Amino acid sequence: MSLRTIAAVILCKILCLAARILHRGGTAMPGRWALKLCPDLAGTLARNVSILVITGTNGKTTSARIAEQAFADAGLDYLANRSGANLLSGITTEFCRNSTLTGRCKKHYAVIECDEAAARKALGYLKPKAVLVTNLFRDQLDRYGEVTHTLENIREGLKNTPDAVLCLNADCSLTSSLALELPNRAVYYGLERSAADPDTRPAVLSDATHCIRCKTEYIYDYVTYGHLGGFRCPRCGYARHDAQVAVTRIQELGADSSTVELRAGEEERTVRVNLPAVYNIYNAAGVITALGEMGLDLDRAVNAVGSFHCGFGRMEKFALGQQGARVMLVKNPAGCDQVLRFLAALSGDLELAVLLNDNDADGTDISWIWDAEFEALCALGTRLRRVYVSGKRASDLFIRLKYAGVAPERIILEQDYAALTDRLGEAEVPVFIMPTYTALLEFRPQLLRRCGGADFWEG
Amino acid sequence: MELTICHLYPDVLNLYGDRGNILCLRRRLEWRGIEVTVTEKPIGSERSLGNCDLIFIGGGQDFEQETLLADLHQGKDAELCAAINDGVAVLAICGGYQMLGNYYETYDGHRCDFIGAIDLCTIGSAVRMIGNYMFRCDAESGGAVVVGFENHSGKTRLGEGVKPLGRVIAGYGNNGEDGTEGVRWKNVFGTYSHGPLLPKNPGLCDNILLTALIRKYGHATLDPLDDTAENRAHDEMAARLTKTG
Ligand SMILES: [Zn+2]
Repeated sequence: MSLRTIAAVILCKILCLAARILHRGGTAMPGRWALKLCPDLAGTLARNVSILVITGTNGKTTSARIAEQAFADAGLDYLANRSGANLLSGITTEFCRNSTLTGRCKKHYAVIECDEAAARKALGYLKPKAVLVTNLFRDQLDRYGEVTHTLENIREGLKNTPDAVLCLNADCSLTSSLALELPNRAVYYGLERSAADPDTRPAVLSDATHCIRCKTEYIYDYVTYGHLGGFRCPRCGYARHDAQVAVTRIQELGADSSTVELRAGEEERTVRVNLPAVYNIYNAAGVITALGEMGLDLDRAVNAVGSFHCGFGRMEKFALGQQGARVMLVKNPAGCDQVLRFLAALSGDLELAVLLNDNDADGTDISWIWDAEFEALCALGTRLRRVYVSGKRASDLFIRLKYAGVAPERIILEQDYAALTDRLGEAEVPVFIMPTYTALLEFRPQLLRRCGGADFWEG
Repeated sequence: MELTICHLYPDVLNLYGDRGNILCLRRRLEWRGIEVTVTEKPIGSERSLGNCDLIFIGGGQDFEQETLLADLHQGKDAELCAAINDGVAVLAICGGYQMLGNYYETYDGHRCDFIGAIDLCTIGSAVRMIGNYMFRCDAESGGAVVVGFENHSGKTRLGEGVKPLGRVIAGYGNNGEDGTEGVRWKNVFGTYSHGPLLPKNPGLCDNILLTALIRKYGHATLDPLDDTAENRAHDEMAARLTKTG
């Protein structure tokens, strides 16, 4: 162990302590300074740890929380980073926290959520046992550039860790293409045709219309959402890979959870997913696949999927208004569409608040709100009692909803979060709140103050 | 009255919420009782541009540009040039705007030939010009102050006698150097302002619609709409850019 490593670990630990004393939530800062002293610190500290890395556009946090639940249930000692700290700096902080002063990690397992852009560097340092890539969608383009660049970042990162098993979404033509040029062993998960709604068409704005290899337009045998589904290229033969972990049927899509039939290798299970909507079924299948590769028993993984709680803006519940409120973080059009589809399928009346910020962490370009299908809300008709728009770009949301066809008299601009909380608190019907990332960070304390509950950084 | 809008390459040129512009054009016609048909012309489509009144071309990803160029050079380039010379109204954004020019030369010297409908060319640069920005349209394009978001590394230069759409107030515009933004050529409106350009800039949207209607019917007027919400979004961003710019 070099002196430099020891110095970096000590510095990081001191900064963590200082941040805690000053009540600063930031977990990236200590790691950032430690990396300046020792750029490969994460790699050094992670040497003897069995690591699951989770990356991809959507579903990282939910998948990581399910994995944590499974590790905890199994009584394994593990460390995990949190969504606000998914760059190399935050990952490094987490390893430092769990290391001795001489740079030996005290935990045997790690669940690491990794930002797609950070994957390029982080994967080579961490040398994970398994890498789960959830999906690739158009995200914050001003930060990442194009979706194919994001794919390239992950591919470059994977080149430095040939022993990692890739757990890939078979239904995502972009994600599963990672296996094409890499020597890594790959296992696939996905939804079979029998689990897909036969009426679903590829998204109007698909992120992958043409073959990643030969640029011919894909043919779809079925679509689950976005560009996910049974794709095949008529020219070069690139097609959906058979899934070893396959959802064969969706028994029930409820407002709080889903129940599906799942086949993993030779085994079959009925699985309850403790969060609603199709995208969480994907998260469940992905993490079951990854946990299997990490050596956990199938039933352990299935139980975790049925019992975990995610919180922090992922369908998080608050006792606000007469019927409660759910907070659903939205980051990009694909994720936003899934939430809108979930809302459009609900049966009763509801009130909605959408909070849009354009800070760096949200993406400074808010054009994506025009790619998201806010038109889906029109299906609710008068059951959509009110839509509040808030955040720094509330007035842009207002016109987005107006042009989507929501009656302007139902749209209310309320930029004051305290006043917004008051108004939502008066709701007689269930409330749904869709914030972007920094809006969630700002608004959630209001909800906690009103409804009680643990704060993120302590929780 | 009625108007036919052609959305060119919606399958590949659809980056950054370009769809919002089509939606805005459509709604602002519908709200005035003007019939509107939007036809899509994806890659491989044989449908002629012949009888449309307004063509919309959005921005795209580099990966898809090769696919697109192959399709374009199979005759659509000539067809598009003919429509432009014939005075069909065109709104072209970002990659779609560059495509109407002579060529795009990448930073490392690789050259892509475009359709050459307008004498302008684009050279790739190492810096990305990105962020909210603001420009004032020249009088012949209505004179409105436009707020938008630009995100391009290509620097566009207009040929001699080719007029810009407007002058930059805050941000980069065509190249970050000569203060011009976009192009106005015959009835073509070209701009780097991507995504939801029109919803927040109802004046520019109506100017484009009017251009198309006048070409078709000789003369036309547009009933005023309640643009309170649109103007609020516009003014907030204009105020932010005035403060920081
Ligand atoms: Zn192919």
